[in-house]
Amino acid sequence: MALGGLWLGTVLIGMYLVLAYANSAGKSGSPPRNWPEASLLRHDSKLPTLVMFLHPQCPCSKATVGELALLMAHSQGRVATHVFFLQPTELATNWALTDLWKESQRIPGVTVQCDYAGREARLFGAEASGETALYDATGRLLFHGGITISRGHSGDNLGHDTLQALLMGNPAPSANTSVYGCSLFDCKQEGNP
Amino acid sequence: MQPGSNRAEPSSSATNRRTAELFAEHQNGIYRRTDRMFAGLMLFQWVAGIAAALWISPRTWIGTQSRIHFHVFAAVVIGGAITSLPVWLAWKKPGHTITRHVIAIGQMLTSALLIHLTGGRIETHFHVFGSLAFLAIYRDWRVLVSATVVVAVDHFARGVFWPQSVFGVLTTSPWRWVEHAGWVVFEDFFLMISIRQSVKEMHLVSERQARLEAINESIEQQVQARTRELEQTHKQLVETSRQAGMAEVATNVLHNVGNVLNSINVSVGKLSDRLSKSNFGHVGKVAELMRERTADLGDFMTKDAKGRQLPSFLEQLAEQLGKENAFILNELGSLTKNVDHVKDIVAMQQSYSKVSGVTEIVKATELVEDALRMNASALTRHEVQFFREYDENLPDLNVEKHKVLQILVNLIRNAKYACDESGLEEKRLTMRVTNGSDKVRIVLIDNGIGIPAENLTRIFSYGFTTKKDGHGFGLHGGALSAREMGGSLSAQSDGLGKGAAFTLELPYKARNGAEGAIPL
Repeated sequence: MALGGLWLGTVLIGMYLVLAYANSAGKSGSPPRNWPEASLLRHDSKLPTLVMFLHPQCPCSKATVGELALLMAHSQGRVATHVFFLQPTELATNWALTDLWKESQRIPGVTVQCDYAGREARLFGAEASGETALYDATGRLLFHGGITISRGHSGDNLGHDTLQALLMGNPAPSANTSVYGCSLFDCKQEGNP
Repeated sequence: MQPGSNRAEPSSSATNRRTAELFAEHQNGIYRRTDRMFAGLMLFQWVAGIAAALWISPRTWIGTQSRIHFHVFAAVVIGGAITSLPVWLAWKKPGHTITRHVIAIGQMLTSALLIHLTGGRIETHFHVFGSLAFLAIYRDWRVLVSATVVVAVDHFARGVFWPQSVFGVLTTSPWRWVEHAGWVVFEDFFLMISIRQSVKEMHLVSERQARLEAINESIEQQVQARTRELEQTHKQLVETSRQAGMAEVATNVLHNVGNVLNSINVSVGKLSDRLSKSNFGHVGKVAELMRERTADLGDFMTKDAKGRQLPSFLEQLAEQLGKENAFILNELGSLTKNVDHVKDIVAMQQSYSKVSGVTEIVKATELVEDALRMNASALTRHEVQFFREYDENLPDLNVEKHKVLQILVNLIRNAKYACDESGLEEKRLTMRVTNGSDKVRIVLIDNGIGIPAENLTRIFSYGFTTKKDGHGFGLHGGALSAREMGGSLSAQSDGLGKGAAFTLELPYKARNGAEGAIPL
């Protein structure tokens, strides 16, 4: 009985840690309220523009790309989407050309590009992989945050629902959500994985 | 009597006890096998979880720096922890109730872990339902309850602490976990029906097996009893046959002695008749005449007419008395011979009347000759010619002499009877002794009435006979004796009127303790 209790206790603590990790959000980003003029990318003047920042090696971001694919499938022609993959200058150029890149490229209506030295990510205030921001045709920020329910978990989530509502012209349930993904930048004090 | 009417019907209480035993045994076997299966499965799942973690999320990143992902540690440590106790219990305490419940809990926790390690894939959720189906192999509905409670508690707790992790939205109903657990209960419901039916069938099978065992045991007891009876009957039969065989020999002996006694009687009659008509009295008359004429014996012998005829009379008388003497001596010789014959027959019978079971080294041809000698008078009287065909260099036999003689005497007697029945003028009996591969073969071939095909095997059956005064012991007993000695007795015939051949095969060496079952 004692052995069983010890086992159950150990296992439950372990499962708690797994869940706690899965639900630990990355550092929230702080995108500018208006489209940054310094960005090399111009926002669409007729459609809302969605920008997403991904760490090419982040395993959690696979779920983010999956959610983006779903969103694009339901919002054909309603949004201009750009996905930026971090490409540190000190690393080989193919560092960003991962399966995640290829999957993103396969999504109809999505433009994939490298974000050298994380320049664009910094301009848009992104901190964690999966950070997504939606600007309207005038360059005004409508939403920012993550579009997954937890680390690496796909499924219905608030970020996805909010973006879909905004693109359909419906009221948004939330203005921002937590981002579940790896840190885009080296930062000792972040404490995120 | 109806077949099996005396069969002991197994008592219901004993059958019920045995049913319960068999059911428990069967159930325990299933528990143990399933425990082992899950032990293997859980070890495999552990390894698969580690592989999934290494494949899906090997490292976590902070900018350009990386380290091993938490999922890899979780797969190794937590997966190992989940697997440890169920596998240990399956190894150390297979079949115990606690083992299968811990396995059920562990399996559901493994489902939860795998779901996390695979990024919450919908497909991995099938592991929960698959595991429930696997757990149903235990055929114990309580195990499903344990598993379902784990799923319900997991969803409830996560719904409370991290609602979005379970249901995807933060604004979910607090009772949503009931809906999720409900789907599990939905599957449980059908699995429990299946388990109930399986357990019922197991019980039926156990009950049938218990009844079958009880019936088998009863039959076994009856078989043993019948076997004992058969063994007893067999012993009696062998003894009866042996006695019958002895009687057969004795009858033959007496028959032959009777024949010789007839000859003796005839000789005695002839002697009496001859002696009653003997001229021996004339010798006295001559002596009396000579005493009367003693005074003038010379004149009487020379001058008297009677006296002169007296010498020639005495010569004729002496001649006749000499003939009588020769006749009597001849008859006495015959008498002596016949008496010796009787003595031989009696001595032979005595030599074969030894205790059964004692084997002796003998020559097959000597046994055949003895048997012929014992039947010689009868064969002669019935005008049956007998011929001998003996191989040279025949090996000695180590057999019970009296048994072989009984068989041969009986076969010769049967041959004589068959020859008589055939009505042929030329009756022939051939005694052939040959050397087989490991046996001596004695074949008696007659040209008698023969044996119909349908009787070729029946003639060896107990009580079967074609003779008016037969009792059906002879051939049956002969076959039994031959079998006991490790040999065989068989018959061949081309049918009625075509004679018959009886073959007695005897091994060179005595059969060790040979007394097998006699399938006759």
